[in-house]
Amino acid sequence: MHMIKPRWIKPVVSASLLALALSAQAADTIKIGVSGPYSGGSSPMGVSMRDGVKLAADEINKAGGILGRKIQLIERDDEAKNERGVQVAQELINREHVVATMGFINTGVALAATRFYQEAKIPVIDNVATGSLVTKQFLPPKYPKNYVFRIAANDTIQSHMIVEEAVVKRKFTKVAILADSTNYGQLGRQDLEKALDERGMKPVDEEKFNIKDTDMTSQLLKAKAAGAQAILTYAIGPELAQVANGMDKLGWKVPMIGSWTLSMANFIDNAGKNGEGALMPQTFIQDPDTPKRKAFIDAYIKAYHPSHNRIPSPVSAAQGYDSMYVLAAAIKQAGSTDGDKILAALENLNTKVEGVVTTYDHPFSSTDHEAIKIGTPVMGVVKNGHVVHAN
Amino acid sequence: MEILLQLILSGIALGMIYAVIAFGYQSTFATSGTLNFGQGEALMLGAMFGLSLAGDVMGGPYLNYWLMIPAVLIFGALQGAVVEAVGVRPAIKTKSEFGWIMSTIALGIIFRNVAENIWGKDDMPFPSPLPTSPLHIFGANVLPMELMVVVGAFLMMILVELFNRKTIYGKAVVATASDRDAAGLMGINTRMVITFSYALSSMSAAFAGVLIAPITLTGASMGAVLGLKAFAVAIIGGLNSGMGIIVGGVLLGIAETTTGFYISTGYKDVPGLVLLLFVLAIKPSGIFGKTAIKKV
Repeated sequence: MHMIKPRWIKPVVSASLLALALSAQAADTIKIGVSGPYSGGSSPMGVSMRDGVKLAADEINKAGGILGRKIQLIERDDEAKNERGVQVAQELINREHVVATMGFINTGVALAATRFYQEAKIPVIDNVATGSLVTKQFLPPKYPKNYVFRIAANDTIQSHMIVEEAVVKRKFTKVAILADSTNYGQLGRQDLEKALDERGMKPVDEEKFNIKDTDMTSQLLKAKAAGAQAILTYAIGPELAQVANGMDKLGWKVPMIGSWTLSMANFIDNAGKNGEGALMPQTFIQDPDTPKRKAFIDAYIKAYHPSHNRIPSPVSAAQGYDSMYVLAAAIKQAGSTDGDKILAALENLNTKVEGVVTTYDHPFSSTDHEAIKIGTPVMGVVKNGHVVHAN
Repeated sequence: MEILLQLILSGIALGMIYAVIAFGYQSTFATSGTLNFGQGEALMLGAMFGLSLAGDVMGGPYLNYWLMIPAVLIFGALQGAVVEAVGVRPAIKTKSEFGWIMSTIALGIIFRNVAENIWGKDDMPFPSPLPTSPLHIFGANVLPMELMVVVGAFLMMILVELFNRKTIYGKAVVATASDRDAAGLMGINTRMVITFSYALSSMSAAFAGVLIAPITLTGASMGAVLGLKAFAVAIIGGLNSGMGIIVGGVLLGIAETTTGFYISTGYKDVPGLVLLLFVLAIKPSGIFGKTAIKKV
């Protein structure tokens, strides 16, 4: 009895052969996920971060890639929404089979999405979101290994620097805290309180405002009545601009010192002259003060042509760029794309990685997943519509 | 004392912002008993259109602030007519009780999405036609633009009242308002009057948009919160009283600033809403509203 060959066998065999060939080709690249908001209010940060990552990946690929393979970036828009961030994480892990992911601008998205990488044992580098909790959700001994790393100045560091600037450097004894009512603002307010408490101080006044509030009279009058010599802020661009404009209206001008969002273009543009002099911690300022930084800024402007030659968010672009190089060094050291091996390499990185923010010499350890330490970020100040080094 | 004065003046300025937006709710309610729940978006579109003409977002400026206003008024009127034709007329025709609510909300969302795609989601500064340094009044500070909003609010109130009382078109509107069927029998094209009232409503919203934009920042989402607050003002003041809108706005504005200062900035939106509930419980037609008697 001879076998009857069904008519469909030929196309099926050739199709599966083709699929095999395709997957073999795909395996030649190293897939790395990039998750961030590329549309919406946080998009200046998301797009800058992505472009920084792309710039670094292109450079690495031109130099021959890693382990003889090219990097392939899989970019996904998380729209700054927690639920969307979770979908993106699942897609990158289960469908795209990325070896690692970088990104996150929004603390909420980072907290929600990193859980999936932790479960899938895939390393993830947060390169913008600042919430102190992001790298501390899966600490050993409760979890055997923590797969979440960060290359960004977290809120603990930032609030520390803000308080140091106000209390130590400028010797203010009375400061007021103005924060918005979002998670970002209120968690930041707690960090500021803690940092003040370490210096034995309490804020003379604490005020809240909502997103889209247009009138800050009562908040500012209360801070003024309490005798505040400076206001410390944790909020985002547009409302910070209303605070600066409100101070001008009331004829009450005290220094504004706050989280890095004071460097956002929508603060600088909307506050205009009233935003001049605002101080904030920055890991990177668009100032070509070293050859490496000059090369990075020139390459960014040449590749993406930002308006007025101003990188929308220089901090995000620089951290994105550096995170790609650190990850590439770790994959190279691991000699493999296995998640646990990359994690081990990240926690004990033997090569010094020269980035644009800083030079990363053993940036992480098994107990410390924060690459940016106190001392690395500098204070920036708004001057003539640009952020420059504050001295 | 100085602080209280500053709070009251800032409250009045804030309240007048709400009031100029709230005017738009009136004209449509008067003629057809319907409201445009996309009022906040009409305001936003007016402001964004104005910014495109008078600012540099679209390669401008093409016109200065004052010359831009008539263009914005025409734009607003057209936008209102579209809302009426697409969202409200079908609902009135089919005697649908609530169809217009859903369709005006839906149109509002569509307008916001369109604006986000054209102008982006970010807030932008609107060039101020007046100096931005504050004036000093009895030790309190007020921005020239805030005074202009107050003047604008009164101007709108006077124009609406004059229009209704002195012109033949206004009388047609009033006639349609008091009895649509009878007005139709008397030869008034009531459908036209309703379209017109929507055009007028969005026109006033667009005007309000360019009036307040130099104070509030301009962006696709600027209308959401403001439109809601203005709705509260329209309910508190009464949906058929020009005076009521101004009083309602001022009450809400002062309630917000004084609560923010004397109680807590975390609760500053509460008293206004309590006031709203209170008015609805005691006098549902608003403080200055005439009670509508529905004969069945």
